[in-house]
Amino acid sequence: MEILWAVLILLGLGLLLGLGLAIAEKILHVKEDERIDEVAKRLPNYNCGSCGYAGCKGLAEAIVTGKEESLRKCKPGKEDQNFKPIIEYLDQHPNEDGTKVKVHL
Amino acid sequence: MSTFISFVLAIISSMLIDNVVLSRFYGICPFLGVSRKVKSSLGMGIAVVFVIILATCICWPLYTYVLEPAEIPFMDTVAYILVIASLVQLVGLFIKKYSPSLYKSLGIYLPLITTNCAVLGVVQSNTDQGLTFLNALANGIGTSVGFLVVIVVFSCIRVRLESANTPKAFKGLPIALITAAIMAIAFMGLQGLFSGIKL
Repeated sequence: MEILWAVLILLGLGLLLGLGLAIAEKILHVKEDERIDEVAKRLPNYNCGSCGYAGCKGLAEAIVTGKEESLRKCKPGKEDQNFKPIIEYLDQHPNEDGTKVKVHL
Repeated sequence: MSTFISFVLAIISSMLIDNVVLSRFYGICPFLGVSRKVKSSLGMGIAVVFVIILATCICWPLYTYVLEPAEIPFMDTVAYILVIASLVQLVGLFIKKYSPSLYKSLGIYLPLITTNCAVLGVVQSNTDQGLTFLNALANGIGTSVGFLVVIVVFSCIRVRLESANTPKAFKGLPIALITAAIMAIAFMGLQGLFSGIKL
């Protein structure tokens, strides 16, 4: 009986907190360049930090905002699996003013 | 003694005498990790104050009115972690919205408040000692403000240490650890602060 209550109460608590967070997320939403997420998806996502940024998301942001041009900064990245898809993606998705994001290997 | 005075005394006592970092050794990870700049340590301290006070306000009633009557007090740690994790998520959303630069400078340490043992330690000790809600609140406020004060003071010292002529072997973290130890010794001097007052 106790076990059942434990499960039910924790389930309810989790549900309540999850709902609260979902609402908070909607209210406190920050608009972000969606290309950052797309580039981060194409990186290896080891979050090793060998590029000098806090994680793959940090490097992706630097690439999209033009702070970082060389993809080779990402040490574990492979040319075929990671770098080429990123260059291709950024080629198809230019900045709002029409200029392309500068990247190279 | 009136309730108000004992409330204030309980805050000061858990802030200075039983300081969470320097005499109970909780929360050392952010204490060393985010104290390189005064601004980010202030942000970290305020975030921890917010999380600890809210966690105390939620977890105490949760234990007393839900877990205890349902006869499952053994689930307390799990329930507390659930509450703390969601609170940290909420604080993260807030900071991301209103101060992106602080969000960036806190980096990985922001979600790590979840595993900051200062937060869980306060909440857990509140219910383990069977404190009343007012005393639990005083403990939460005192502990978190104590954390804020100590991390800001420590970061001010560390900024000075950067330009000081430290021997090469002690540069960076080693001298920071020694500084923390000396601060802890200094805080031991506050031990007899309330010895003349009858609580």
